[in-house]
Amino acid sequence: MKITDACVFPYPYGDSSVRRMALEARNLGFDRLVAIDTPHAGCYGIEICTGVIIKGIPLKDINSRIKKEKSTEAVVSVEAGDNSFNRAVISLKGVHSIRGIQSAEKTAFDHVAAKMAADNRVAIDLDLSVIVSGRGSTRQRAMHRFRDVLILEQRFEFPLTLSSYAHSVLDMRAVREITGLCSIIGMDISDVEKALSGIDFIMSSPDRAVTVIS
Amino acid sequence: MSVRPPTLREKRRYLLVLVEPAGTPIDQKDLYYAVSSAITSLWGDVMASSIMPAVVAAEERFVIIRCLRGTERELAIALSTITTCHEVRIALRIIAASGTIESLRERIRTMKPPVGDDSGPCECIFEKKPVQVLHCDGQKIDVIEKGFKNTNRLFLTKEDLEEL
Repeated sequence: MKITDACVFPYPYGDSSVRRMALEARNLGFDRLVAIDTPHAGCYGIEICTGVIIKGIPLKDINSRIKKEKSTEAVVSVEAGDNSFNRAVISLKGVHSIRGIQSAEKTAFDHVAAKMAADNRVAIDLDLSVIVSGRGSTRQRAMHRFRDVLILEQRFEFPLTLSSYAHSVLDMRAVREITGLCSIIGMDISDVEKALSGIDFIMSSPDRAVTVIS
Repeated sequence: MSVRPPTLREKRRYLLVLVEPAGTPIDQKDLYYAVSSAITSLWGDVMASSIMPAVVAAEERFVIIRCLRGTERELAIALSTITTCHEVRIALRIIAASGTIESLRERIRTMKPPVGDDSGPCECIFEKKPVQVLHCDGQKIDVIEKGFKNTNRLFLTKEDLEEL
């Protein structure tokens, strides 16, 4: 089980190099980072996974983009849209997580989408930067949406991931701080541990119900 | 009004906090306003009155923040939501909690001081651009891009500069 920050933006998206982020992540208690558009590597004992975020393109283009990323070991995420879009994306093979659920409309992720996410091992990413840097109604709405997702997660048991969305080492938070921040949306320590290791679950191949042995 | 005897006083706790990035000038008053605003925004006035936050000391990169006993968790969560202090980007890393300021001061003394680069401004190249080293602490190097337009601080490591 590797404690993972599921989305960071190193230089040139942010002001910190991926090595510096890895160094900081080690000090903050992480084992792995998913760095957007950064090659797979290892720095200072931290595994750097390539992350890809697909957003603002129609569904058919998403499919071709996913095919392009299939050969790489990238963690492919798609920005959440409306309900039908999300259901379609969840059913696509090669999508690992849905991001930005707090910005999507209220009905964007319902019990049907939750069941599909659980069946297809697609994670829902919780963006903690909204809780950290958001204020007022933005943060309240995000927290409310996260609580909604957590209710569905308890019922359908789809995977969750936690992201700092850090563009700088100053945006990164320690595991203990993340545990505290998640406690305000109703996650206990075991939930947080499970979510921090959610990348392990979605990147592993599913156990087959039937194995052909000969 | 006479001072209450120790047994009747409210019990307090102190958090030792490291301010990042290194070299950021910290004004106690500005930091208090940032802490107070973060607590009120996250927990509301009722909880803020229970926490009773106060910035009691600021020593170089370290800050000691006071709260009432039993509210350390709420204070720590609120501290992790602070991103700016007087429009300067900062991050607060909680190092320790204690019942006395003296034990935290002792902790500061025992902590290894950062290896600062006092040899004057040093120039390097990063991504084909000239940069000036602001702070150096082990592998960590903070630089600032040279020029009139872009003076953003970049957070790098020694390897990032050695590559070129």
